Amino acid sequence: MQSVFGQRAPFADVRRVGIPRALLYYRYGIAWRTFFEQLGREVVLDSPSDRGTLEVGDRLSVDECCLASKLFLGHVAALAGRCDAVFIPSLMGYGRFETFCTKFQALPDLAENAFAVAGESLRVISMRVEEPRGTSEEDAYLGVAAELGATRKEGRRAYRAAIAAQRAYDERMAREQEQLVKSLAKLPAEERPLTILVAAHPYVSHDPFVGGVVEDALREQGACVLFADETDRARTLKKSYDFSHSIPWIVNRELIGSILMLHEYVDGIVLMSAYPCGPDSMADDAIERCIHGKPILTLTVDAQGGTAGVETRVESFVDILSYQKKGGYLHA
Amino acid sequence: MPSLSSGPEQSAGEPRRPKRASEEQGRVVMQPGRPRPLFFTGKRPKRDRHSRRKVAFFHFRNYEPAFKFFVEQVLDADFIPLPPPTRRTVKIGEELSSDYVCTPFKHIMGDYVEALERGADVLVQVTGFCRLNYYGELAQMILRDRGYADFDMLNFSDVGTGKVRDYVAYCKKVVNPNLSIPHGVKGLYAAWRMVEHIDEFRDLYLARAGFAQEAGSFERVRRSFIARMNAATTLSDIETGFRQSVDELEALPIDKPADPVRVAILGEYYTAQDPSSNLGLEQKLLDMGVELVNYMSISNFNLHYNADATRASITEYSRFDMGPTSSFNIAAAKRAAEEGFDGIVHIKSAGCTPEIDVMPPLQRISRDYHVPVLFLTFDTQTSDAGLDTRLEAFYDMIAMRKVRS
Repeated sequence: MQSVFGQRAPFADVRRVGIPRALLYYRYGIAWRTFFEQLGREVVLDSPSDRGTLEVGDRLSVDECCLASKLFLGHVAALAGRCDAVFIPSLMGYGRFETFCTKFQALPDLAENAFAVAGESLRVISMRVEEPRGTSEEDAYLGVAAELGATRKEGRRAYRAAIAAQRAYDERMAREQEQLVKSLAKLPAEERPLTILVAAHPYVSHDPFVGGVVEDALREQGACVLFADETDRARTLKKSYDFSHSIPWIVNRELIGSILMLHEYVDGIVLMSAYPCGPDSMADDAIERCIHGKPILTLTVDAQGGTAGVETRVESFVDILSYQKKGGYLHA
Repeated sequence: MPSLSSGPEQSAGEPRRPKRASEEQGRVVMQPGRPRPLFFTGKRPKRDRHSRRKVAFFHFRNYEPAFKFFVEQVLDADFIPLPPPTRRTVKIGEELSSDYVCTPFKHIMGDYVEALERGADVLVQVTGFCRLNYYGELAQMILRDRGYADFDMLNFSDVGTGKVRDYVAYCKKVVNPNLSIPHGVKGLYAAWRMVEHIDEFRDLYLARAGFAQEAGSFERVRRSFIARMNAATTLSDIETGFRQSVDELEALPIDKPADPVRVAILGEYYTAQDPSSNLGLEQKLLDMGVELVNYMSISNFNLHYNADATRASITEYSRFDMGPTSSFNIAAAKRAAEEGFDGIVHIKSAGCTPEIDVMPPLQRISRDYHVPVLFLTFDTQTSDAGLDTRLEAFYDMIAMRKVRS
């Protein structure tokens, strides 16, 4: 796709850009923010998810949508009146077997159509990343810059700053996790706290309304929590090819790679997914079949269920792990 | 104005939802040993290099003759036909699959077990742009875990490059090292024609069978057509068989009103076409005396599909391609609305993400063109009686609108 610098800029008047705090915001949020700020736009974020977000999103969504996509529409609705346009990219993927769930391709159309059906207006800035068919990430960002009325030079500078900011953050998280794992490994076995790897899409594990309960419950039990999505992405992605050659989702690949890399350092693994997650329905099955040697707790988070059930399950899982660590049951 | 489209929240059968997450919120598993790769690395029984492989496809609408032709004439191997799927097939598939994986996967797993029980040693799986990409590998793993060791998977996801040369090399490796290229190309062209003819025949059938004077006459011709295709071994067999069957079909007497009720079917690739997945929805509608068009077919979606033209026709409803069949279905719905169909039925399997995302654009089309859209979701539990009720209500509604207008 050729960007159209200097030809038309339908979003030149947009001063305040809204970014919904949901889905891939938890993966690319820093890049998106930096990009728009570099182009002199004000970025508006809405507040983290809560029950109200879900209720609004639920009303706008088809009933069968997954919890995460309902929350997404709730966030978009929260931004609709508070900014000039909402940024919703359509992300297809980076390679034949490094794609995103089709939900992320559909998001801009999903939001626009859902709002049109509900009779509300919504202005969407979008871009398409589809590297297998030749639309690279850089082209996509430059296209947005052109639509905002920036020059090619400004666009390129903003893109580079955005990528650098996101990479710096990701690398810092990966480094911190690596240090934590190393320092845990140095401790004598009896002093080491239970180490639990939470493998979930970032918008599940880091959204306080969805995965927050699990993290809190684990920490309350005195466990040390590692997040699979914070492990070094390039290495996890490469590692995942040892596990499967045809699993198509890049995020699931990274989670699987992280599980393989951290397998010997953790006491247990928690797989968490938002009900009903398409990629997880198959990837979790494969993980349960193939990742041997560590207990795995599979949790499905559903907004209707309430948090009590999740807490009980996490507690009993931690109990199992502590028994096992002490040389208790389960093949110890 | 009352809402014309039905509530998408109801499933096709009784209002039964897939198991809620809160009912099965978590489970703990622990298996001894080291992590292993998903693809199979263990020892397999050694097979005779010169024996012919026995290839089985999963069950898919009435394409079996084309699959058979492909296996026998192109791959030069034996074809294992599958009996029509039964309650048992579905049950096995359900049991082998995880709970909320898409429904076609469950049907296909059941078919694979049936095929292996009948002695197949190569199972075929295709590839796509959604979860379908991963079907082959996971299915293989599940079957091996179940103790079926002696089979190979012809999984087209394994060919990552998409080049014809690599597909040929892969088929040679898995099925038949002595595969003849000139013979195969000839066979492939004939198989292509057969798929086109099977689809053309179906389109004719759907347009006329609802108005048959003699009950069962169309079904009889359809069966004889499939038998002819099954017996075909050359391109001329296919062409003559098709022409004969079309002549027979067109000779059948019908009572077609001047302005019949017309319904268009579209939706998820597998479920929208396969009668055992959608509980014979086409036949049910035909029995009500409806002229049907089913847009989804291999011809329409794979062989004659023009992605750019399709995208260009729906720019007001969708900016980007949303997944495998999304653009196709939105365009088909728009076309049906423009051509004045009285109703549109959108079919999907439970949890099909791309088709769920198609629903809001379809709701808009329904509103813009004033055409009712019935959204149906099928899973392995969907009941026949519930579907009948919904279809009858839908038919009554569109028939009444037609009389009034």
